Amino acid sequence: MGHHVKLPTVEELQLPADHPWRNVPKIGMTLGLVCFAVAWFAGGDHHQFLFAYLAAFLFTLGLALGSLFFTLFQHAASAGWSVVVRRTAENLMAPLPVFILLFLPIFFGRHELYHHWMDLEHAKHDPILVGKAPFLNEGFWMIRAAVYLSVWTVLSWWFRSNSVAQDTEGGEAITRKLQVTSYPGVIAFGLTITFAGIDWAMSLDPHWYSTMWGVYYFANSIVSAFALLGLTLLLLRERGVLEGVVTKEHYHDIGKFVFAFTVFWAYIGFSQYFLIWYANIPEETMFYSHRGGSWSNLGAALMVGHFAIPFLFLMGRSIKRYAPTLKAACIWVIVFCFLDIYYVVMPTHYKYGFSFGLTELLCLVGMVSIYAAVATRFMASAALVPHGDPRLKESLAFTNF
Amino acid sequence: MGNPAMKVYTEADQLSYPISERAPLVLGGNDFHGVTEVVTGLVERKPNWKWWAALAASLAMLSVYGISVAWLVWQGTGVWGLNNPVFWGWAIVNFVFWVGIGHAGTLISAVLFLFRQKWRTGINRAAEAMTLFAVACALSFPTIHVGRIWLLYYAAPLPNQMAAWPNFRSPLVWDFFAVSIYGTVSLLFWYTGLIPDLATVRDRARTKYRRMIYGFFALGWRGSNRHWQNYEVAYGILAGLATPLVLSVHSIVSFDFATSQVPGWHTTIFPPYFVAGAIFSGFGMVLTLLVPSRKWFGLEDVVTIRHLDNMAKIILLTGSIVGYAYGMEFFIAWYSGNPYEQFAFVNRAFGPYAWAYWIMLGCNVITPQVFWFKWCRTTPWFLFIISIFVNIGMWFERFVIVVTTLAQDFMVSAWDYYSPTIVDWGCFIGSFGLFCTLYTLFVRFVPQVAMAEVKSVMKVADPHHPAWEHAESVAAPATDEGASVAPPAAPDGGETAPDVPPSEEGAE
Repeated sequence: MGHHVKLPTVEELQLPADHPWRNVPKIGMTLGLVCFAVAWFAGGDHHQFLFAYLAAFLFTLGLALGSLFFTLFQHAASAGWSVVVRRTAENLMAPLPVFILLFLPIFFGRHELYHHWMDLEHAKHDPILVGKAPFLNEGFWMIRAAVYLSVWTVLSWWFRSNSVAQDTEGGEAITRKLQVTSYPGVIAFGLTITFAGIDWAMSLDPHWYSTMWGVYYFANSIVSAFALLGLTLLLLRERGVLEGVVTKEHYHDIGKFVFAFTVFWAYIGFSQYFLIWYANIPEETMFYSHRGGSWSNLGAALMVGHFAIPFLFLMGRSIKRYAPTLKAACIWVIVFCFLDIYYVVMPTHYKYGFSFGLTELLCLVGMVSIYAAVATRFMASAALVPHGDPRLKESLAFTNF
Repeated sequence: MGNPAMKVYTEADQLSYPISERAPLVLGGNDFHGVTEVVTGLVERKPNWKWWAALAASLAMLSVYGISVAWLVWQGTGVWGLNNPVFWGWAIVNFVFWVGIGHAGTLISAVLFLFRQKWRTGINRAAEAMTLFAVACALSFPTIHVGRIWLLYYAAPLPNQMAAWPNFRSPLVWDFFAVSIYGTVSLLFWYTGLIPDLATVRDRARTKYRRMIYGFFALGWRGSNRHWQNYEVAYGILAGLATPLVLSVHSIVSFDFATSQVPGWHTTIFPPYFVAGAIFSGFGMVLTLLVPSRKWFGLEDVVTIRHLDNMAKIILLTGSIVGYAYGMEFFIAWYSGNPYEQFAFVNRAFGPYAWAYWIMLGCNVITPQVFWFKWCRTTPWFLFIISIFVNIGMWFERFVIVVTTLAQDFMVSAWDYYSPTIVDWGCFIGSFGLFCTLYTLFVRFVPQVAMAEVKSVMKVADPHHPAWEHAESVAAPATDEGASVAPPAAPDGGETAPDVPPSEEGAE
């Protein structure tokens, strides 16, 4: 109701000068490059590196895209509660332009990753792939990748830079502008994430298809992004940053979203699996039959770890309002979001069973380090809360009833 | 209603409110008492001839349903236009159509509740009532579709001496559970929200029978703090339980089709696509009902232009999601490389039922795009027209899915063209008779707007509202957290307070 709100000063909303995260850009960037270099040179098998890299890429991209979606939707829905956490989501989506660089290994390794359909010699003997060639061909694939990456670059830049501009300008004009542009933004986002999911993950097995695929990649990305948003804020809070600004009321809401999208992910994943299983048509069931053997253990682990455990754990109100429990849940959920991507990508390489080696670990750590480096760089460059937002008071005063 | 302490808000205020505050949801300077008068007045006044005319017309349509069903039961389902291969005709189309419509009510009262969308309070009562009536219409179709309706109980897992159990692997049995659970929870939810309002009608009743009947259904509600607390807990729990139901019902309806191997039916996006379509059609029907009734019943201050604006936005969103699903189905049908999949979709768009396909696409995906423009979202008559398009489009969606897919199945020699008979028409139009009859009775006997909930989201419900300042000498309004939900306790007999006579909140 806005009557008892104590407005924080602008200084209180910055990442403190002595905060350890100010070192993350340098450390993260170095660590990331070292990890990639070691994985590439010491691993030996470049094929394995590329697949491990792709899995790490799609997972980290999901974190950034989910944060972009969060930002877009808060504007589209004129949300008030989320103002104090929105900048953090904006910082987590801000690395999206860097994914252009991170995409380069996939670009150069495209013939290894997608050789089934990208090598014309190989594909022309396969009538199904010949039929798909108008879509699945090298040139169009590259054009589409350029489109996705530019759309994300523009969206993340537009929504963060305007929000930062509002910190000094204030007023309602920017809020209105962002709200109006969020609608086409959501459409562009929906189409690009769908087809990116198809291009970069579904086409690993070019015979297989599922109309749900885009939604599936979207669902996993959203869960991971909500969990990361919660985790980032909880880690900031451990050193007293944004104390009294982002309160347990906001954590509670983020926890509810993690819970809700965990259920949504399970709903989408179950529907996809169940319909394919029930109809039992060979060209569809092959996705799951390729994930037999020890891969099916990971599939079962996803059911339990990506759904059942967080579902039951996050159901209680006090769990979501108590920092240590919510933090544990966020970390858990993020780990399983990675495993979900791993389950999608890696069986194309490890055809005979589950494996997780040093290369995979190094790629993951490298990718996340670079992502963290860029995200913390953005955190340090502007206030951690969009304090020029006209709905700031509403967000500060927000309580769950 | 003319309380001088209240600021008079207009539609123009509402649409150009500063972003830093939330626009008012009740217009016209109404205080709590004003809302009570606007809403319960409809239940208390004697109905005019127009209501009787509406009831007569609805009953006439309902009798068409009765006659059609009687003839159907007497003769068997052969009186429908069913043929080989179209074994599922209009009955299933109508079933899915009505179940879909039934989704808006629970979405508004459960999902929008969880998302703290306060505007839902103005429309949730009517939308939930519509949900119940739509579910009733929906359930009637599988019932009559079994042909021998006296054997319907076979669908329930009842112990019986024949040891004949329903096949639990059949989606049709899941439907039986899904829809009946949905109907039950929706009814409970609707009724829970009704209790405080029924008590208001009881307390204002001038005749003995009226007091007794409304008093019976009000379950002894006195509006005490304890009552409100229990009410809020019950409402929250029901909202939590109903939210997955919003998703599950139409997902399971989609399984009726998608678990099969029939090209055009078997596709993995069906569950969320059906859910989005159901919400879309439900909001279409809510608009169809509320745009005229807010005018006829003088509810324009409570069901405001902003409510319509928001509903139009949801229609635009869900219509676009449906468009995404249509596109994705088409794209993947081509991408699959499966000639049967490809045929099924090309045949939909350019085959003998192309007219139905393009009606569907035009009404569901293209027409709602007008809601990008504010004028279209805030002009009631225009909204009404678009809502009719939505209703038509969503009926045709089910027609396209059910009939066009079956009519051209695997064996070319079996292909046939489906045409409805007069009994099909009778059942379809008659089901609107059932729906309209129930809705006409609803507007007469039940408060059409959730008064207690609307009061809780009014500006004056804020304990710091200026209208309360000069009332402080009488009694301080409650300032605890609950005040944001339950209306602040009326200062007892406070003649300057902007609230209602004590009778309304229930005298202890």
